[in-house]
Amino acid sequence: MIYKAIMIGGSAGSFQVVTKILSALPKTLNMPLFLCLHRLKHVRSGFLEALSLKSNLPVIEPDDKEQIKPGRAYLAPANYHMYIELGNRIALSTEEPVNHSRPSIDLSFVTAAHAYREKLIGIILSGANSDGAYGLKKVKDLNGFTIVQDPNECQVRTMTEAAMKSTNVDQVLSTDQIIKFLLKL
Amino acid sequence: MLELGIVETRNIIKTILEKYNYDFSDYSLTSFKRRLEKIVDQQNLKNVDQLIIKLRDNNSYFEQFLNELATPSTEMFRDPSLWRILRDELLPSLISDLGSNLKIWLPNSVSGDELFSLVITLHELNQLNKVQIYVSSLSTVSLDTIRSGLLLASKLDLSADNYIRANGTEVFPNYYKMENNAIYRDTSLIKNVIFSRQNLSLDPPVQGIKLVLFRNKMVYYNQTLQSKVLRQLFSSLVPNGYLIVGAKESINTLYGNNEFSLINNSESIYKRKP
Repeated sequence: MIYKAIMIGGSAGSFQVVTKILSALPKTLNMPLFLCLHRLKHVRSGFLEALSLKSNLPVIEPDDKEQIKPGRAYLAPANYHMYIELGNRIALSTEEPVNHSRPSIDLSFVTAAHAYREKLIGIILSGANSDGAYGLKKVKDLNGFTIVQDPNECQVRTMTEAAMKSTNVDQVLSTDQIIKFLLKL
Repeated sequence: MLELGIVETRNIIKTILEKYNYDFSDYSLTSFKRRLEKIVDQQNLKNVDQLIIKLRDNNSYFEQFLNELATPSTEMFRDPSLWRILRDELLPSLISDLGSNLKIWLPNSVSGDELFSLVITLHELNQLNKVQIYVSSLSTVSLDTIRSGLLLASKLDLSADNYIRANGTEVFPNYYKMENNAIYRDTSLIKNVIFSRQNLSLDPPVQGIKLVLFRNKMVYYNQTLQSKVLRQLFSSLVPNGYLIVGAKESINTLYGNNEFSLINNSESIYKRKP
C-alpha cells in the first residue's frame, strides 16, 4: 500500500461532495480520512451528525491528542485548528485564525504533509476563498499526491483555482472520478 | 513563511531550560513550533539563532517572550452553552452552598477573556462581591495586559454575539470603552481579583478552590505534562470541586481517570472525587 492517509479541505459548496465521498467509501478503508471544512465558529453540533448520515465510516470530531486509527473520518471541530501531530495523534489548537479561518485548511494540510509526506493524498474541493492553496503546495513539495476538484464542477471555484495556481497539482477530477480514484487505493 | 525544524525547536527549548529553568520539552510540538515561528517573524529576527541569542543575552526579554509564547483565548464567552450553565445552574448553586467562601481559579491566563466573561456573569447575578477569584499567569506581561482590561478588536464582534447567546442581561457595550483606538473592558469588575505569577508545573497551586476554569490550555501540552498539571489542579481543588476544560479536551485517559468524574460531557465539566 502506497498511501497512508487522505486529507480533504473544503468550504462553500463542498458539503454535498464530501457526503457523496463518505457514502461511497467502504468501512474497510485501511487508512484515516481527515476532513477540514469551514464551518460556523459558534455552532458545535449538527455538522457531524449531517455528515454521518450517509457515511459508511464512523465520522468523529476528535478530542485533543486522540490516537489516529484507520477506517475513520476525522472532522476538524468547530473553532479549533486540527493538526496531525507526530506519534500518530491529532492535536487541536485555539491559535489565531489563519486567512480568517479556524479550522484552517492550510494548517491541517501542512501538518499532515509533514507527518505522512509521500504517503498523503491531499484533496481540495469547492470553496469561496484561497485557504488550502498553501497547504496543498506543501503536500506536493513533500511528495504527496495532490488532487483538486474540477473547478467547472464546483459550486464556487475560487478555492480550487487558488490551489491550482499555487502548485502543479497531480490530478483535476470530478467528484465521481475522485471517488473512483479513492476506491482503487 | 518561516518553518522551524525539530532540531532548531529543541535548541530553543534547551537554551530556555539552561538559562531560565523553564521546561518546554513537554509542550505539544506543532503548536509550540508555530508559536516560535510567529515570534521570530514578529520580532523581525532573521532566524532562530537570533532568537536564541536574544534569549541568552537579554534577561528582560524573557517575560515578554513567555507572554508571546502563550496562546490567548479566542474570544469572550466562548461556547455560550457553557456560560448559560454557569449563569443558570453552577454558579448560583455554588454560591448558595458556600456563600463568601467560594474560590474560583483561572490558571495560565493570557488575555483575560475568560476572567471578564466570568466577572460579567457574576456581576449580572449580583454575586460578584461574594466570590474570590484567583488569576495566575506564566508571565508578568500577560498579567499586566489582563489588568489593563485590553480586548483585541478582532475579538469584539464574536464576543458581543456570544454574550447575547450566553443570555447576558445587559448590553455588551456597557462593559467596555474606546481609548486611544483600543478597547478596554471595565476594570472595576476585577478590583477584588488576586493576581499572581505562577509556573503551573513547578509552583504550588492555590489551595481551597471550588471551581477551576482551565479551558483549551492543555491542548498545548503533551500527555506527560497534561498529567502533571492535572495533578496540580487536583491538589488545588477541594473534594467535589469542579474542573472545566475545553470542549474538545478529555482528561479520561490521563491522570484524571480515577480522580475526576465527568459531570457534563458536551461542556467538559468534571468533578474532583472526594
